[in-house]
Amino acid sequence: MTSARFFRRTVATLTVALCLTCQLASGAEPPATPPAAPAAAAPASAATVPAAAPAGAGAVATPAPPAPAVSAGPDTSTRALDEQIQDLKQSVVDLNRDLFVLEEELLFPANTQVAVFLSMDVGEFFALDSVTLKIDNHEVSNYLYTPREVAALVKGGVQRLYVGNLKAGNHELVALFSGKGPNDRDYSRGASTKFEKGVGAKYLELRISDRVRSQQPEFEIKDWE
Amino acid sequence: MIRRIGPLCVGAVLFTLFQPTLAATAIGDLAPDFTLPAASGGNVRLSEHRGDVVLLTFWSSHCAVCLAQLEALSQLQTTYRSAGLVTLAVSVDDDMKSATQFAKSHPERFPVLFDRLKEVGRAYGIEAIPTTVLIDRRGHVRYVQSDYHGTDNSYVARVRALLDDPL
Repeated sequence: MTSARFFRRTVATLTVALCLTCQLASGAEPPATPPAAPAAAAPASAATVPAAAPAGAGAVATPAPPAPAVSAGPDTSTRALDEQIQDLKQSVVDLNRDLFVLEEELLFPANTQVAVFLSMDVGEFFALDSVTLKIDNHEVSNYLYTPREVAALVKGGVQRLYVGNLKAGNHELVALFSGKGPNDRDYSRGASTKFEKGVGAKYLELRISDRVRSQQPEFEIKDWE
Repeated sequence: MIRRIGPLCVGAVLFTLFQPTLAATAIGDLAPDFTLPAASGGNVRLSEHRGDVVLLTFWSSHCAVCLAQLEALSQLQTTYRSAGLVTLAVSVDDDMKSATQFAKSHPERFPVLFDRLKEVGRAYGIEAIPTTVLIDRRGHVRYVQSDYHGTDNSYVARVRALLDDPL
């Protein structure tokens, strides 16, 4: 658990560092000439010289640049800078994704990984409030659902309720569901399954569905092979 | 003398070493997320209010000052609701019944939440009630006030400032 926290902190630090780099790039580099528009930037810099120099000498040494080139310069450089910032932001997102995947692989290796998902079908006879998960009689998760989350599940969303590590062998999963049942009554039900953890990752799905015949919700646990 | 003071000193050191450490949330920190059951039913998650200014107040039904503050907060919530203020009143009562009765008898215009296990209170390092925590639209703690006086409405100005601050 300590290593997990350390890893997460490292990941967060790296992300913040990259974000700061982005901000520095956007905040400190505007005067630099972007590589995409060297021609446009040159007249702009030349245009500033006569203004600072004495009027007579400047008029002789450097003729005034054409007006359209002066107005197009800043626009092009700003656009190039925006593109650079967008590229950096995209890099941050990609790096964050890669680090997330790496974190998952390191913290939950495939040979010990167990993941439990939750899905709801219809949800007419049951309004989900909370789910408590126990593996081998140890509580590993106790999740409270907000109305938004329930709505997302009813629309077809699948939630990863728990991910952890288990050694190979036989285990038991118990899920306790609580919420409002038919006629808006408090409703609690449990479901359990025994599963064998092998070499690969183990995926289990808690399914809540409506049983129309009995006008009751149904809770089952599916083992994804 | 030393024989008398010695055990006391050892006891004090042991108490200091083994007392539960409070992870007090500092100003500018990301507010610890939580999900708590509400008196009106359902659950409330703090992170779902990202984009709003959240005024979090920790209270108890046995605290007269807290009740006076809740009345004031109710008015504040009514005034600034449309501007994006969300008030969450977290009850730290051991007995949920008294808090539930209070919530029913005082239909405040904000959710009353139950922190029965005191996990949220610990996460925010609450040492006294009432404690008010102001969270900005980005989810960062911007102000913590661990007392309430009827005349002291300093957090109202801070609420206004945070509401004026766009996301």
